[in-house]
This record gives sequence, structure tokens and C-alpha cells, in this order.
Amino acid sequence: MFTKKRTLLFLTLAVIFSLTIVSCSPTPAQPSATEGPASPTGSEKSITIVIPEDPPSFNPMVADTGYDALVMELVLLGMADVDPNGNVFPELAADLPTVENGGVTIDDDAGTMSVTWTMRDDILWQDGNQVTADDVLFTWNAISDPVNGTWIPGIDYIDSVEQLSQNSFIVNYNSIYPGYLTQFGGEQLAIWPAHYCNLEQGFLSWDCGREPLSDGPFVLHDWVLGDHMTFHKNDNYYLAPKPELDQVLVQIVPDDVVRKTMMLNGDADIDMWINANTAKDLEGSEKAKVSLSPTDRWVMRLYFNLAQKGTVDPIAYPHPILSDVNVRRAIRSAVDVDTITSEIFHGLATPAWTEFFRAPYQCAVPRPAYDPEGAKAMLEKAGWTDSDGDGVRECHGCSTGAPEGYAMEMEFITYAEFGEPLELTQQLIAEMLGEIGIKMNITVVEGSILWDQAENGGIEQSGNFDIDIWDDGYAGVDPTDYIWELYSQEALVPGDGYNVMRYDNAEVDALIDEAYTLDEASRKKTFCAIADQINEDVPLVHLFTTPNLEAYSTRLAGVQSTVNDLVTWNIADWTLK
Amino acid sequence: MTTYILRRLIQTVGLLFILSAILFTLVNVAPGGPITAYAGRRPRPERIEQLKRQFGLDQPLPLQYVYWLVGNDWTKIDSDGDGIKDTAGSRKGILRGDFGLSYRTRKPALDEIASRLPNTIYLMSITMAVALIIAIPLGIYSAIKQYSLFDFFATTFSFAGQAIPEFWLGLLLIIIFYAWLKNPWTGEPLLPAGGISSLDGGFSLSDRLAHLVLPVLTGTLGWIAWYSRFLRSSMLEILPLNYLKAARARGMTERNVIFKHALSNALIPIVTLIALDLPYIFTGAVLIESIFAWPGMGRLYYQSAVDRDYPLLLAVLIIGAAFIILCNLIADILYAYLDPRVRYE
Repeated sequence: MFTKKRTLLFLTLAVIFSLTIVSCSPTPAQPSATEGPASPTGSEKSITIVIPEDPPSFNPMVADTGYDALVMELVLLGMADVDPNGNVFPELAADLPTVENGGVTIDDDAGTMSVTWTMRDDILWQDGNQVTADDVLFTWNAISDPVNGTWIPGIDYIDSVEQLSQNSFIVNYNSIYPGYLTQFGGEQLAIWPAHYCNLEQGFLSWDCGREPLSDGPFVLHDWVLGDHMTFHKNDNYYLAPKPELDQVLVQIVPDDVVRKTMMLNGDADIDMWINANTAKDLEGSEKAKVSLSPTDRWVMRLYFNLAQKGTVDPIAYPHPILSDVNVRRAIRSAVDVDTITSEIFHGLATPAWTEFFRAPYQCAVPRPAYDPEGAKAMLEKAGWTDSDGDGVRECHGCSTGAPEGYAMEMEFITYAEFGEPLELTQQLIAEMLGEIGIKMNITVVEGSILWDQAENGGIEQSGNFDIDIWDDGYAGVDPTDYIWELYSQEALVPGDGYNVMRYDNAEVDALIDEAYTLDEASRKKTFCAIADQINEDVPLVHLFTTPNLEAYSTRLAGVQSTVNDLVTWNIADWTLK
Repeated sequence: MTTYILRRLIQTVGLLFILSAILFTLVNVAPGGPITAYAGRRPRPERIEQLKRQFGLDQPLPLQYVYWLVGNDWTKIDSDGDGIKDTAGSRKGILRGDFGLSYRTRKPALDEIASRLPNTIYLMSITMAVALIIAIPLGIYSAIKQYSLFDFFATTFSFAGQAIPEFWLGLLLIIIFYAWLKNPWTGEPLLPAGGISSLDGGFSLSDRLAHLVLPVLTGTLGWIAWYSRFLRSSMLEILPLNYLKAARARGMTERNVIFKHALSNALIPIVTLIALDLPYIFTGAVLIESIFAWPGMGRLYYQSAVDRDYPLLLAVLIIGAAFIILCNLIADILYAYLDPRVRYE
């Protein structure tokens, strides 16, 4: 029987149950294995960075999510890093080795080079031990371990790394490697402490990857998985009294709307990698501003498959539509890039029409005109006309080997992770091409399906597409390997590279080989010759650079977005107003 | 009953085994593999081969399943890619509690789950408790006062509760209680936007409760609607029955008739329903955890699926499946215990 007493008892028990659960719930403040300084109190200068997911670790080589590199910048240094304008600057290095200062020696006969690095002697790990060449050798041994190691850019060019003294070492290359300055630094690689990390656990799995010993501006104090990370100022930082901030909280907030609301409310100080729509929403806010990288990296582009869909040999199986360069040029002329950048990207994207649009390699390639009428004329001349009046052209005397009457209809693919702006761009381009008589059937897939290996059914690698669109570009300041992977004939074979257009031009191949030199003047000339040839052949269409945007609070000074690194690249210089 | 339970437990083992094979196959043959996710968009062939060896993806799928199930410490593997199987395997397999290393973190998958499971149990058990505390009286009163103004509003509320998407409601509540409404004394947001507790450290009961309000409110609405409608329907089936008329004829008070005789029978299917919903306490709610930045199992599941983190994804799926099967068993046993008419022989 339910009496008042029983009801009261039931409610009391329910309240006690709830409170017990609340009291016994997981405690966020879990101590880390790394002993950081005590929590700053009183007039602490603390900021909050919001990111959507936990970094997998402090080692970006494990999973390359960007969030790992973001927190790596707080606690670990490399030999050298790159600023937003593409200038390399030393971190652990005393200075940058060059041919001029004798740090780089070249054996012209053998086509090899050696780089001697000298390290600063005033940088300490947070436990007081000095950062030395021992740590570099240790890191190199961990990376190059055949079982537990990993691949880093340019690793194939290294013959050996030898220690010369406590603060110097030499890297012997089997070739000329222009990207040597950031090979042991940059946005992804740091030097790890030999006396703290366990080599047997492996470079990608060692515990110090999650509980790092710091030589950077901050030290990890605690990390509550899925919730937040707390960093405190490193009193041993070599650029003391920097950093000015006492504490950095990295809070995990998966939903982008919530992150934006926190920025607008003044409860978050940094929201990295916001999209153009969020940037637009933050306009006029008293609490938040947007930082735009002064240089761009990612270029949105249309990839043409020059081989028949489902094949990878453009000579034996030319694409029935896209193997004609005039068709590719017509498509380029029919896309109104300015409308896309202004309407979909709110003016934050910049038109780009060559691979070499940014320092140090900028080439004066003339911008293709938006000319839909000219595009129609080109298609007519190429033998593609609409004889049945259905709005879609057919082959009537075309030169691609397509049968008479073959319809100008293709699949147009993009990837989902970029989000709404790219899908709208895809739809708008499909409409623009529809206006000149090319029917595009749009498809959106996951990136992991688009870029997977051929044996796993990866769309691009297996050549199972007509046209796709996504953003790509080279990291840092050396485009040589990137250009080889994208345009060389050797990279055309599935699994060997990323020439998914199946572009085959012997002249470009020879130019790419010439680009492997340290002679800057020669490199610039070579890259511009490549740019001209690509502009002529149109194996792909460069459209516009996608903006690299970060939201930051108005109380924070010194924040500078960059495509060459993560926004925290200069966190030691940040100040609170 | 004991024989029945033993038989069901044996069936559970068989079912889990079949499920493990199906889940392992589905996860591994799904388009888009983990290599692209962990080696970047443009990995070099050497990196691909190295990653495959490190992830164990260099073996045929059936052998991968065997290693995942029973481990590979009984055999030798080619760990350096020289084509010679000269290194002893180190995996113990899920049958010995080793779910492997997460591809994303290179740490044991079970450790990841262990760090999230308490948070999910904490949130979902309170959500379910609050939902039941509200839904049971709501359902009873709606049934007793059928077609009344209260019933009309309760019905409308229930339909709305079922229809409103959690992601929309959650964001709306954040905008109202976090962005718009402020504490008149401190000027701070009335309620936090998310997380388990404030980041400034230290335990505070009021802080914990404040962080619970919005996710619990979002999560309970659907459950309140579900349970209250079910109970109302169950009560309405029972209320006209003769044994209740007889109870009233014997002079029993209406309160006793409702709570002692009607409710005890009407609750039987609800108890079963609750038992079937119990797995949510362990598996979490993806949307609520994502919107309210709650570090629980739902988010872990979603993240591992997006990241193609197969060891972690399979661990979450297998453990989730085990909970579901176990809760089904509990539901069946409870049903037999509560309803004397049901016999398992």
C-alpha cells in the first residue's frame, strides 16, 4: 500500500540515489604521470582552446588529426619550424644549415649531400636535463626502426644520421633533398627525450606520446580523456619569461555550433579550423574575431580522369570525353570561380589557377577567363554537339574515340568531410557545366573511400571516376615531392603515387627531375616551366584556395592563423589584453 | 527456471560467437579502410605496407579474425616486412580479454572504454531514473483521467517528446540556458553548455548537478514520452477488468485499487521494457554526448567508426552486444518472475 510515508521514503531514496551517483561520478581531475608544476592560482592568465575531439597523442605521426600537432606545439620542439609566410626558423637548432654557412655540403659527382646541425645548449627538458643530439639520434632510431617505426617525408633520402658532439649531428643524404630544413621539425615532427621515452615500446606507441616530457612553453598537467587537457607554464622554457600565459585549457567540444556559441559567449579563446559560415556568423562579435592565414595552402581543384573510367592506362584506354584537351579547357572556362568564392565562401576563398601561387615559388601564369560562350564554341569545335535538343551534347565527330552519339554525361564526385561549402560548390559547378551541355551526376562519398588504395576499391586509385573535386596542396615550403607524386608518369601507377589523372607528359617528368636541386634560381625557373605546361595540358583545374580560419577571443593578442603549422605555432608569444 | 537460465547462457555464448564473426567481417569489408585515415591522403607505398603490418592487416581476413579472437602469441609473424616470420606475436585475443590496440592512440582498446564507461553509466542511469520518476505518475494519471484536459496535455507532450530530435532540442536548450539566460547575480550563463564539470578543478555538488541538467533534460524527454504512453495504455487495458470491480465491491479504496491491484499488473510489461532499455546505460547516446561534450561511450563509438579504428570499434560493438543479450535475458527472467502465468520449461 502506498502511503504518504512510503511516497516520502521513495522520493528520499531517489534523491539519495541521485546524489550518490553524482558524488561517486568520475572525477575529472586525474593526475598525469608527468609531474607538472602546481596549478596556477590567483591572478592566473588562463585561456581555453576548444577542439572537437581528443588528440590521439602528442605525436602527429600516429594519426595526423591536426589536434595532435596542436598540442605538440605546446610541449615539444623540433629542430626548425615554419612561420605563416613560409620562412623557416630554428627552434632547437642554433642556426639553419645552408650551403653558404657551410652547414650543407654537396657532392656534385655523387649527387648527394650532407647537412650538419648544431643545437642550442640552453634548452632543457622540464625535468632539468639538457636537450642534446642524443635525443635527435634517439628520435631518428625510433622513426627508422623497421618494426615499430614510421615514414616521414624524405626518409628515403637519408643514408645515415651520426652524432658529432653533444650538440651537433650530421645527416647524410643519398640524393639532393631540398626539404631538409624541416625534416626534423615542421608541423609534424618533434625531438623526443632519450632518457624518458622507451624505445622498445616504439615511436608510435610509447607512453611518452601521451605523457610527454616538455621542452616547449607549457607542460601537461592533466588529461581527462574526452573532456579536457590542462597545461601549465613551463618555468624551464628557454625563451623565459615567455610564455606570458600561465595556463592553457584544451576543452573537447564535439559540436561546432556549441563551440561557436562558446566563442560568442566569451567562454572559449580559440576555435581552430572554423569554416567560412562560422566566420561569417562571428562578424561583428565583441567577443570573437577571425584570423586568416596570410598564405594559402589548400587549393580546391577538379581532377580529370584522362583514362576510361575503371581503367588506369590513358594510352590504351583514353577517356571517351576527357582525353581531349579542348574539352578540359572548355570545362575550365565554364566554371565561374568568382561566384563560388563570393557566394559560398563569403569572399574568404581566393581564386587560384596554378600550383605555384605562393612564396617561395610564385609563377606568372595567366588567369583563365570565365567564358561559357567560348566554352560552348570549344566543345562544338571538338565535335560535341547537342543534336537531339535534350540539353546534353553528344559526340558527333569527336576525337576521343567515343562512339558516334556518345552522350556528354559524367559522374562528379566529392568527399563528405569538408561539409556543406564543398557540396554546394559541387552542385554549382554541375549546374555551370549543365549550362554548356555537360551533364554531371553528383556523388558524395567518404574521403577514406575516395582516397583508399586500389586493392580496397579506392575510387581515385582504381580510376573509377570521371571528375572529382577536393582540396589539396603541399605542406611547408618544398613542393618537389608533392609535384612528383601528382604529375609524374611514375606516379601514375596505382599504389606508386597520386597521379590519379593518369597524366603522362615526358617533358614534365624531365622538369620534375631537374627540380631536385638546392639552386633556388633554377628551382623557381623549373617550377614555373612545369606550371606553364600544366596550364596548357589541363590535367586538372585549380579553382580557388580554401581559407585557413581560426576564431580567437578579442582578449587574446598575438594569434596568427597559418597553413604551414597549427595555430599554436607561436603560443609562447600570446598575451592577454 | 535454473535449467532455462543455464540454457540461455549457453545460447548467449554461441550467439556472441556468431555475432563476433559477423561484426568482424562487416567492419573489415566496409569500404574505406584505416590506412587512408592513419597515413594521410597521400601515403607512400612503404608507409602503407608498414602500417598494414603494424595493424595486422597484412594477413588474410579469416586469419585476422582468428588472431583477433584467440591472439597470435602462439605463432610467429613478419614484423619487419622482410618476408620472414621470425617474431613471436604478442596479441592474446578477445577471448583472453585483449581487444587489441586502438589504431588511433596505439593504446589498449579496453583502456579507452574503461575511461568512458563510468561517464556513460553516470549520465544514462540518472537520465533513466528521472524519466521513470516522471513517466510513471504521468502514465497512471493519464489513464485514470482518460480524455481529461491533463490527459490531453500529457498526450500532446508525449507525442512532442517522441517527435523532437535530440540534436535540435539539445542545441535549443544550450542557446536558451547558456547563451541567453544569465545568472542575475554573477552575470554568468545560467547553465553550462557541456562537460561533466567545470574545468577549474575541485568537486562541487551544485556544479555537477548544473552540468547534468541540460543533457538529462534532453535525454529524458523521449523516454518520458515512451514510458508514460506505454504505462497509460497498459493501465487502460487493466482498469476495466472484473477483478478491479470486485476489489471496489469489497470496499477497497480507489487508491488501493489503482496502486495495489492495477499498477502492479500494469507495470509488468514496463519492467520488461526497462530491462530492454538497460543497455543504453552502458552504450550511451551519441547525439547527447556529442552536443553536451560528454565523454562517454556513445561518442567513443561514433569516433571509432569515423576514424576506422577497427579494434576500438569492435570492442565497443562486442561489449555493447553482450550487454544487449544479457539485458534481454534479464528481461525474460524478470517477466517470468513477475507474471506467474509465464513458465519457462
